[in-house]
Amino acid sequence: MTRSPRLRGIGFVAPLLVVMALAYVWPLWQAMLNSLHANTPHGIDTASWTLANFARLSDPLYTEVLLRTLRISAIVSLITAALVYPVALHLTRMAPRWQPWVILAFVSPFLVSTVVKSFGWSLLLRGNGLINAALLALHLTDAPLHLMLNETGIIIALVPGHFMFVLLPLWTAIAGIDPALGWAAGTLGARRRQVFRHVILPLSWPALITGLVINFIMNMTAFAAPAILGGARTLVVSVLAYQVNLEQLDWPFGSAIAVALLLFTLTLVGLGQKLAVWRR
Amino acid sequence: MSLRVEGLEKHFGTVAAVRGVDLDVPSGTFFTLLGPSGCGKTTILRSIAGIYTPDRGRILLDGIEVTTRPIHARNMALVFQNHALFPHMTAFDNVAFGLRMRRVPRAELRTRVDEALTLVRLDGLGTRVPAELSGGQQQRVALARALVVRPSLLLLDEPLSNLDARLRDELRVELRALQHRLGVTTILVTHDIEEAFVLSDRVAVLRAGRIEQIGAPRDLYRTPTTRFVANFVGPANEISLTSIESADGTVCGTTDTGLRLRLPQDAAALAGRPAWLIVRPEHLSVAPGPLSNRLDAVVDDLVYAGAATICRLRIGGTALSMQIPGEATTLTLGARVSVGWQAADSVVLHDP
Repeated sequence: MTRSPRLRGIGFVAPLLVVMALAYVWPLWQAMLNSLHANTPHGIDTASWTLANFARLSDPLYTEVLLRTLRISAIVSLITAALVYPVALHLTRMAPRWQPWVILAFVSPFLVSTVVKSFGWSLLLRGNGLINAALLALHLTDAPLHLMLNETGIIIALVPGHFMFVLLPLWTAIAGIDPALGWAAGTLGARRRQVFRHVILPLSWPALITGLVINFIMNMTAFAAPAILGGARTLVVSVLAYQVNLEQLDWPFGSAIAVALLLFTLTLVGLGQKLAVWRR
Repeated sequence: MSLRVEGLEKHFGTVAAVRGVDLDVPSGTFFTLLGPSGCGKTTILRSIAGIYTPDRGRILLDGIEVTTRPIHARNMALVFQNHALFPHMTAFDNVAFGLRMRRVPRAELRTRVDEALTLVRLDGLGTRVPAELSGGQQQRVALARALVVRPSLLLLDEPLSNLDARLRDELRVELRALQHRLGVTTILVTHDIEEAFVLSDRVAVLRAGRIEQIGAPRDLYRTPTTRFVANFVGPANEISLTSIESADGTVCGTTDTGLRLRLPQDAAALAGRPAWLIVRPEHLSVAPGPLSNRLDAVVDDLVYAGAATICRLRIGGTALSMQIPGEATTLTLGARVSVGWQAADSVVLHDP
């Protein structure tokens, strides 16, 4: 029996397509449908359609949560960019045989569950935690600093949690830049800072933006760190969606939150794609 | 500007790339570092440019030491084998880069970049990015980018070896004319003998991190001082001499097969020592006429190479290569011939 090459191609991707359809597309489709129905004391009213769930999102109570999520995600991404660039530059200057080991050291935090890491952070950051105890003992501060149960705590946990998604593409991009370009710029009078500004930065820019977009999405959708280190007062969208869906059992509104977060994130990814093209 | 390099040494880990090199390059000279790959020529060039810091030795520009001066403060310009153009900039911006680093005013910058692009015959192509230019055009942009800053030294690292043969010949002629016109002191690194000879006033032949010989191309070809140079700069016949005797104003040598050969007069200084006799294939002749040396030979092989014919001859156990212009109409395989050369055209070296 002979099959056309196209059919055989479908055969290769079919298993994953089935899994994706059942575990991802179907629930997402259900969530989208749910978000357009009203929640009643007797269950979801599938007979009528409404945009009321989305209208509810414009309540300042919820816009505040969205703005906080955006703010935290953006700050984490910016701090990550600033911290990771020197590391990526330094990595590419190391002997090639050492580079994989250093990368492995940087990857190692990802082998630990985010829940475990978040509890670990809370041990360090809480009022009577290690960091505050040290600061008080050294008389660097009179009262314990508020390092968690606020946005600071979430940011502290997310920066080391998600920097890998910027470091890896940036390292690859910088390693791919011909060292002769830097030398050429140098002989033409460029100082190290100018070589970075005019050669390294523009040529690694697309990788930086790609990494930051992924990093930003990870920050937007992070759950464990904000749930543990943010506390009840510092709500972010993912935690809000969890509460509405699983504590209030308001699936239609919870779905609306999830759909809104998805649309918002997709828009930002689209903007990121535009940004990836370097303009002087 | 003039360049002096004194006792330059550079190691990479345990590998010695340059092992004590001295150079003296007068202002306006076209100077070439010639050698096989791995001889240290690129390391020397990069040390001059400031990319590498030498382990030992000094580099002086017009008598002023610049050994540890940072790369951006040397006012040199380096042209790379792979062009190393900035891929995200247009040809214009590539050429303008050095001027922008020097904060040249906008109007002057525009004039100088346009002039430089005209100089390398690329006027009108300034708006293209490197990917839209051919290999030859890219190398011209790289040259313009280097020349526009009026560098103290123009450093060329195998700038033509990535181009195809015809383009290489064309750019070679242009480069030579440009250098003569601008009078900029130029250091070229190459493994291509023809390129070195066509372009250079002086050539340093390098081997394993040391200089074998420095001289004008003609000197290197006619009077090599080592067997390595003799063989590196062109095909050479080497005949081993077991002894040299000087008597009544004539110098003679004996080969290990017992043949007696007339040698050039200056070989007398090597009397009593074993040595090598070097004769270039084009100095051998089978034509009748008075020659200092005449030997009976058998034609082993004939190779037609267009402008010349390469003929392999056997004299006893010794093989010699002879080059004769045009076609060898009178020679046939296996023929017995009388081959000879003028003693003055040969060189005798004491080189183990």
